[in-house]
Amino acid sequence: MDRVSWRTQVLKNHLTQAPSPETPSLSPTPCLNYSPPELAESTHFDTSEMRKLLDGHNLQERDWLYGLMIQSKLFNPRRLGGRVFVSPDYNQSMEQQREMTMKRIDYLLETGVFEGWLTGKTVEEELRKFALLEVAGMFDHSLAIKLGVQFFLWGGAIQFFGTERHHVKWLRDTENYVVKGCFAMTELGHGSNVRGIETVTTYDQRAREFIINTPWESAQKYWIGGAANHATHTVAFSQLNINGINQGVHAFIVQIRDADGNICPNIRIADCGHKIGLNGIDNGRIWFDNVRIPRENLLNSVADVSPDGEYLSAIKDRDQRFAAFLAPLTAGRVNIAVSAIYSAKIGLAIAIRYALSRRAFSIAPNQPEVLLLDYPSHQRRLLPLLAKTYAMSFSANHLKMIYMKRTPELNKTIHILSSAFKASFTWHNMRTLQECREACGGQGLKTENRVGHLKSEKDVQSTFEGDNNVLMQQISKTLFAEYLAAQKRKKPFNGLGLEHMNGPCSVIPQQLPSTVLRSGHFQVDAFHVRERDLLNCFAEEILQRQARGEMKEHALLSSYQLAEDLGQAFSERCVLENFLEVEENSPAGSLKDMLALLRSMYALTCMEEDASFLRYGYLSTENAAAVRKEVAILCSELRPHALALVSSFGIPDAFLSPIAFNWVDANSWSSVQH
Amino acid sequence: MASFSSSSGQEDEVLVEEKSFVRTLILNRPKQLNALSYQMISRLLELFLVYEKDSNVKLVILKGKGRAFCAGGDVAAVVHDINNGNWKSCEIYSRKEYTLNYLMATYSKPQVSILNGIVMGGGAGCSVHGSFRVATENSVFSMPETALGLFPDIGASYFLSRLPGHFGEYIGLTGARLNGAEMLACGLATHFVPSAKLLLLEAALHGVDSSDQAIIAAIIGEYSELPMLKEQSANHRLDVINRCFSRRTVENILGALEREATNKADDWILASIQSLKKASPTSLKISLISIREGRLQGVGQCLVQEYRMACHVMRGEISKDFVEGCRAILLDKDKNPKWDPPRLELVSDKMVDKYFSKVDDEHWEDLKLPPRSNLPASAIAKL
Repeated sequence: MDRVSWRTQVLKNHLTQAPSPETPSLSPTPCLNYSPPELAESTHFDTSEMRKLLDGHNLQERDWLYGLMIQSKLFNPRRLGGRVFVSPDYNQSMEQQREMTMKRIDYLLETGVFEGWLTGKTVEEELRKFALLEVAGMFDHSLAIKLGVQFFLWGGAIQFFGTERHHVKWLRDTENYVVKGCFAMTELGHGSNVRGIETVTTYDQRAREFIINTPWESAQKYWIGGAANHATHTVAFSQLNINGINQGVHAFIVQIRDADGNICPNIRIADCGHKIGLNGIDNGRIWFDNVRIPRENLLNSVADVSPDGEYLSAIKDRDQRFAAFLAPLTAGRVNIAVSAIYSAKIGLAIAIRYALSRRAFSIAPNQPEVLLLDYPSHQRRLLPLLAKTYAMSFSANHLKMIYMKRTPELNKTIHILSSAFKASFTWHNMRTLQECREACGGQGLKTENRVGHLKSEKDVQSTFEGDNNVLMQQISKTLFAEYLAAQKRKKPFNGLGLEHMNGPCSVIPQQLPSTVLRSGHFQVDAFHVRERDLLNCFAEEILQRQARGEMKEHALLSSYQLAEDLGQAFSERCVLENFLEVEENSPAGSLKDMLALLRSMYALTCMEEDASFLRYGYLSTENAAAVRKEVAILCSELRPHALALVSSFGIPDAFLSPIAFNWVDANSWSSVQH
Repeated sequence: MASFSSSSGQEDEVLVEEKSFVRTLILNRPKQLNALSYQMISRLLELFLVYEKDSNVKLVILKGKGRAFCAGGDVAAVVHDINNGNWKSCEIYSRKEYTLNYLMATYSKPQVSILNGIVMGGGAGCSVHGSFRVATENSVFSMPETALGLFPDIGASYFLSRLPGHFGEYIGLTGARLNGAEMLACGLATHFVPSAKLLLLEAALHGVDSSDQAIIAAIIGEYSELPMLKEQSANHRLDVINRCFSRRTVENILGALEREATNKADDWILASIQSLKKASPTSLKISLISIREGRLQGVGQCLVQEYRMACHVMRGEISKDFVEGCRAILLDKDKNPKWDPPRLELVSDKMVDKYFSKVDDEHWEDLKLPPRSNLPASAIAKL
């Protein structure tokens, strides 16, 4: 039915069902009428400027892709309450969802969305790729992951591990989907511990071929996105055994399906089955039964095997060689950190818009019911998460920009920051979505309202591309190494923002009036005090354990409590510093004032929530009470800006959900499909 | 504002007919194809505001005298002002016109526009935003702005972007003409009534005593027909249109059309390529972005954005294509505008971005739209 006759139908239904005018009607109370929050809320800063700060780059291209998805029937547009919403039909079977993901990709391919994603050479093209991937992820996580596998994992492996001959042969075909790639790293028995994988590759000198084998069940490749249905090729990670010597993990290109989709000989593939989310991704398992591949299929940027079987590598150290292999995973972690924040934005935009139009309970008899967001407790639930999302959004941009400018010298920083942000932002997202889902009450349970369903779609982010807990441990371990290096060489700390360790320790004032609590200077000092002390304590504890004869690795593991605290302290301090930088670069005015308010909310909420501040005595109990009180005041100050702050996310209406708009109309009898 | 006196003071340029609860407004400047003079816009705005408050008015009908519904804004007067350095009065004109568009888009009472003839530019602006648009076999619709060095304004970034697929980009960039059947098929018109039945339709509408949209829809429905689309119609080519006009940039769109043309020589594709090559490169680029941005915004924001763009176009600080286009098409009629920059690749992103920024003039202000108590879903501002 076209729109006009549909509308007429709706109106007719109204007409035939409505009571006649003579019947006395109940006088509507405010809670029964939907009133758009835009009518009551005002805007005190330029939301489009704020969006520029948040999205950071390629705004027009982002809007182009949003528009492409809204205008295409493939993106499942549905009209509710006078608006169009796009979201996948998650009620489809796993097989149907997978086919839809692929169809959407075919459409975006035809429209030229992926042009330059692998053949592009400039930073501008790389930024555009990131922006478009982020927008694809706003529609559906499966869509983004399917693209991530093709372009960042498979394509990235060829770019980073491969050399000219691989680039020429594979990159353009990958960009055009002539080749569909996947990334076979994880095994049943080994995930985050990539070094322990058990797939084995040997070299047949006479045939000049490698032979890849899955020796036993725990070595089967597992969770390989794209493997179950679509991928024609994979980059297989395997131990390389040359003349009986294991040279460590290497990457090989293996064809797993022919052009018609038939599985190749000596390859066995099984499905990972239905999952709690991401069912638009065909995760599969792969067994290699002595599969033979040409010698040229070794991705040889780090190491090569000569035709007569000699192992050659520019990097002699096995650990460094391994680190070089993991480089492409950094891009993945950058993507995940950024995508987690975009997901939190969707949740908050929906929950806050709903809280600005949904009322519950009157305070006094015969009074209108109260807007959810006018309850101080509701503010406390959502607004600190909003401020944190802003803070992390700026840090996600910061990380992306460092990644763009990457040099070998920056590798450590990128690795540590991407690990810290990936872990803390994905945790933040899950927590935010849960809070938003509860804040929407029963409506949060409806898949069409997105917030609840997003939890299961995004849950995977806490463990893939490195388990969050493992990543956080790595941060503390790296900080400990920095500590040792500074101590041993009697050199000042340099890098990772640890320079504050070199100066005298800041002092937290005994009295914390509002002006102090809200000063960036104080906030940074407080975060420095915490990080400094935790690093000192962590290092001392490990050194003491070692002095008692414990192995270093064992000592590190035993000190996990301090390690966790330290990891969080590091991550939060980086986020605060990035926020301050954005704030300082903004011209004076209402936007800058808004940023200051959000930054204080971020910093003070972190201080309120992290037990470290009280546990280790950085704050007195009086101080902690002052912080807590200030958070409540900040909530009431942010409340009038809540709508403008979520509008600044720049998420088109179609990517939010019916409860974010006229949820009365969207649920009216006339909108039911009769 | 000397130019506005070009409208004849003697005769009313907007005629008003009152029939019980119905007001019929007739655009009465037939020699100029009912092009909207400043006086007409002011009068329409005034009347619409009065009728909204008047409980004795349930329905507003808008139509044109002669062979046009309305051929657009009074471009000749605007260019005259620009040439005299008087873009202030152009800005006042645009403000009024866009405010009228916004009022119609958020109007609480039904508006029936009878489009029995030419509907171009500003003519679309004072009809498409209203609730009912009745096309006939005489309807000719077009947004010809890119050929004039302008861009589709009057809220077109809102309604063009909401046509099926990427039809809006096609209409907005090429200025392609649509007939009544095509208008109905793409949703620009809500009904098609043969012109022979218009008198009967109007008579029936004159009996309306309610603002109920369903009642009005039912009345128009009684006289409506489902016209056949021409075989050559662009509406049959939505696949090609989507394939080409969904592309990221104007250059990509042209490239895609040219690839289609090499695969299959086709007059329609060649005509589209020709239109794009004739249009102002700057206009094409800003129009594409305007439609794309408009797709994600409420109608109010669309108008605010278009107002910024229009002010830049009229001031001519980035490009003077508007004056040149009007010279070549409307005044000298040599149909050979000398666009500057002359080619797409010479229009930089930086130039394009400027059209979307505020005008750098302390006396200049963004368009302020009147607060509306009744905001339909389409009008809710976001971002």
